Amino acid sequence: MIVSELILPLFMIFLTLGLGIYAAAVLDRLLAARQRIPVADSAWRSPLSNAAWLLLQQTNTTEAPDTPAWQLAPALYLSLAAMGLSLVPWSPTLIATDLATGLVLWGSFEALATVVIFLQGWAANAHLALIGAYRYVALGLSYLLISMFVLIGVALPAESLRFIDVVEAQAPLWHVIGQPLGLPLFLVVGLGLTFWGPLNLADSSDLSGGTSSEISGPLRLVWQMARMAMLVAFSAVAATAFLGGWLGPWLPGPVWVLLKTLGVLALLLWLGRSMPRVAPERCVTLMWVVLLPLAFVDLIWAGTLALLMA
Amino acid sequence: MSLLALILVLILSLGAGLLLQALPRREHALPTYPQRAPFLGGGEPDTHAWSRYHVRYYPMALLLIAFEMEMMFMYPWAVVFVEKGAMAVMEMGMFLAILSVGIVYAWREGVFRWQ
Repeated sequence: MIVSELILPLFMIFLTLGLGIYAAAVLDRLLAARQRIPVADSAWRSPLSNAAWLLLQQTNTTEAPDTPAWQLAPALYLSLAAMGLSLVPWSPTLIATDLATGLVLWGSFEALATVVIFLQGWAANAHLALIGAYRYVALGLSYLLISMFVLIGVALPAESLRFIDVVEAQAPLWHVIGQPLGLPLFLVVGLGLTFWGPLNLADSSDLSGGTSSEISGPLRLVWQMARMAMLVAFSAVAATAFLGGWLGPWLPGPVWVLLKTLGVLALLLWLGRSMPRVAPERCVTLMWVVLLPLAFVDLIWAGTLALLMA
Repeated sequence: MSLLALILVLILSLGAGLLLQALPRREHALPTYPQRAPFLGGGEPDTHAWSRYHVRYYPMALLLIAFEMEMMFMYPWAVVFVEKGAMAVMEMGMFLAILSVGIVYAWREGVFRWQ
């Protein structure tokens, strides 16, 4: 019992995190190479050499930083990603944290991510990092509602907030088809949650790095790893909520979850490479006035469909 | 067992994150004070970074709290939605309509603008 309920799911989580972080880094470099952005070394070796270089680098600091918070923020962001991944069911029985309120817990991780990213910007005691953090809070408060409405839409046909029930409710029709607005809106949330590509307001180059402008060495490595880990965890949750999780022919369930996660991850990274960054002053209006009403439409659509199919 | 797994994941990942930062740093000396000056686009750091900053999105945060309270009702609502049918649709529709008036009002007042 301990093996099947504890050790096996934990092994899956950390295997996915480790491989996922590396896969995300490689994919991002391959996408960069396609756009003729020069990548040092080969795309497969460069994440490893970059990590080794950061690990051996001297860590710079600022004059009066909040040192405990500075080290806690990347580690906490990493564990938020790991805990998010522990909510993902790999098969009807293989799941680490099977809670009746799984969707609510994932929502709380999204909210805590905002706190952790603010902490990272605040701890450095430098203006650019702090401005990145403030900006991020505005974004974080805006995407939270979109995420929750979209996830409630997924919970309606399942009549449950449990991830396993959400997957089983998709047996007749995956939510990516049944609720066409759901996945696109949820991908926007994912880009915000990891401040990736078009929604990179925290670490953007116009703040010369923002929240990560002052970090170097192992701290920078863990921060980058945590961001990649969050991308992976988010992709796994999106694959569970919209792409039918373990459902699929021929292959065993966990393989399907991994394949779908990799697909969503590649899509997110491609969006990050191909879309321009949203101007921060337009971002809040876009979220509340355009995307939030679209999330309402998604919810009404999901509710009507759930009543018709019930 | 579920909560035990969750706590184990938290402890293991938090520990890995902290150790990965702490262990390699023991080998290095702390940087000198001139090196510790924060990067401010080349400017001199003559103030503390924790200075007055106008949080422009404060009214937006208040609006968010109104919606977050609504989410609290929405979670149990989602579970009984199919069972209650049209009644649940009407109830939540009215609730959302009232809150949407709040969004329109806030939009008119420029709450979502970044000035």
